[in-house]
Amino acid sequence: MTGTADAPELRIPRGDLLRSRVVSDVGTSLARALDRELTGYATLVPQETLLLESDARGVVTFADGVPVLAYNTVSDSGGPDALAELAVPGPYRVELYAVGDGALETAHEEDALRVAPGAAATELADDQALADRTRDAAPDERLDAASDDDGDAVAAFLEDDERIEAIREQARSEAAERASEWGLDDALAEGDGDEFDG
Amino acid sequence: MVEAFAVASGKGGTGKTTSTLALGMALAEEHDVTVVDADTGMANLLFHAGLDDAAVTLHDLLVEGTATAVSEATYDRFGLSVVPCGTSLAGFEAAEPGRLREVVAELAGDTDVLLLDSPAALGSKSAVLPVVLADRVVVVVEPTIPALSDGLKVQEYARSYGTETAGVLFNKVRDDAADVAEQAERRFGGPVLANVPDSDAVRAARRAGEPLLAHAPESEPAASYRRAAARLDVHDRDEGAVADRFRSAVVPDTP
Repeated sequence: MTGTADAPELRIPRGDLLRSRVVSDVGTSLARALDRELTGYATLVPQETLLLESDARGVVTFADGVPVLAYNTVSDSGGPDALAELAVPGPYRVELYAVGDGALETAHEEDALRVAPGAAATELADDQALADRTRDAAPDERLDAASDDDGDAVAAFLEDDERIEAIREQARSEAAERASEWGLDDALAEGDGDEFDG
Repeated sequence: MVEAFAVASGKGGTGKTTSTLALGMALAEEHDVTVVDADTGMANLLFHAGLDDAAVTLHDLLVEGTATAVSEATYDRFGLSVVPCGTSLAGFEAAEPGRLREVVAELAGDTDVLLLDSPAALGSKSAVLPVVLADRVVVVVEPTIPALSDGLKVQEYARSYGTETAGVLFNKVRDDAADVAEQAERRFGGPVLANVPDSDAVRAARRAGEPLLAHAPESEPAASYRRAAARLDVHDRDEGAVADRFRSAVVPDTP
């Protein structure tokens, strides 16, 4: 993606493992972190292997249950770019870790890795209600600081040629496969080579 | 002239039905518009259009041998011809999806614009048929990555069946959402028809069982839908040819 040469790395203490699960919906894990006001982090490993995203391993940190940073340890992308890379259909393996008070303060000063409070719920879990609940729990300065970051992740997604082509290619082959299953073969358009710009 | 649009999204909860009726009412200012609830497995258009008690619905038209006429399931509401779908599981199970082609062909003979409110998922023949039968698809998405991913997927399905893209409708757009219209237009190869704001007016209309443009015609989302409809640029097509095309669409009667 758009990592720069001096992209910041995420350094956080290991902490205590609270939970390790394969979940179909990351919202479950985000809601759990929010409800227990977790200060710590989650590791997210998409189990989807069809697309390119088998390469994504994510870390989302939390302060009092509200997501602060996002980081992809494979691509070294951070912030909205990392969220965009991690926003794939589930399931994910998610591990939740708690760290001691103050242990993330230094890491959380890294603005380049920051995400808007509700962005993980919106982009990873597709859950606006959880996003609203998360924003309600976020301190005011977080809301003021990062109002456009949700959009940044969407923009990063729309700029990702490989990712979009992977979605299209998968949909094309799925459509063709199902057309034979449903007896719709003859309704398929001739050829499929004409690509859109980008 | 007639043109058939599938209003689709690839996922639930994006406001397809609200959008279908709103686009329909806006287009009805200039055209004869027929709206069909083609979401035969999870119909809800009837609740939006005050047709909860409709005695005859699309389900009845999709059952072989009932001899129900299309006109019996067509209701004049809000300046539109509305073909609602029933909500019973028995009705869904008895329905033969392939018969939708005949129904659409017949409706096409007597209207300017056909809007097919399409199912959320793409997992069955009945779910994909509206996109197969339509001339163009209107992709309704929230401006989020999961919704855009599903929107791209439904568009690709549509393209596979030769159905073009009329445009993308951004729905439930929040105040703080970034403007990604330009990138979306490039990706979808079609215009962003409008950014419809997230609004209590939409929820209030739904509770009242009225289409948004009837319930809150002066609201901001209503204005957005009118702009979207104006950008749709309905094509002139010969209605006989379109009806024939639907009839001859190579959709077997049995799955």
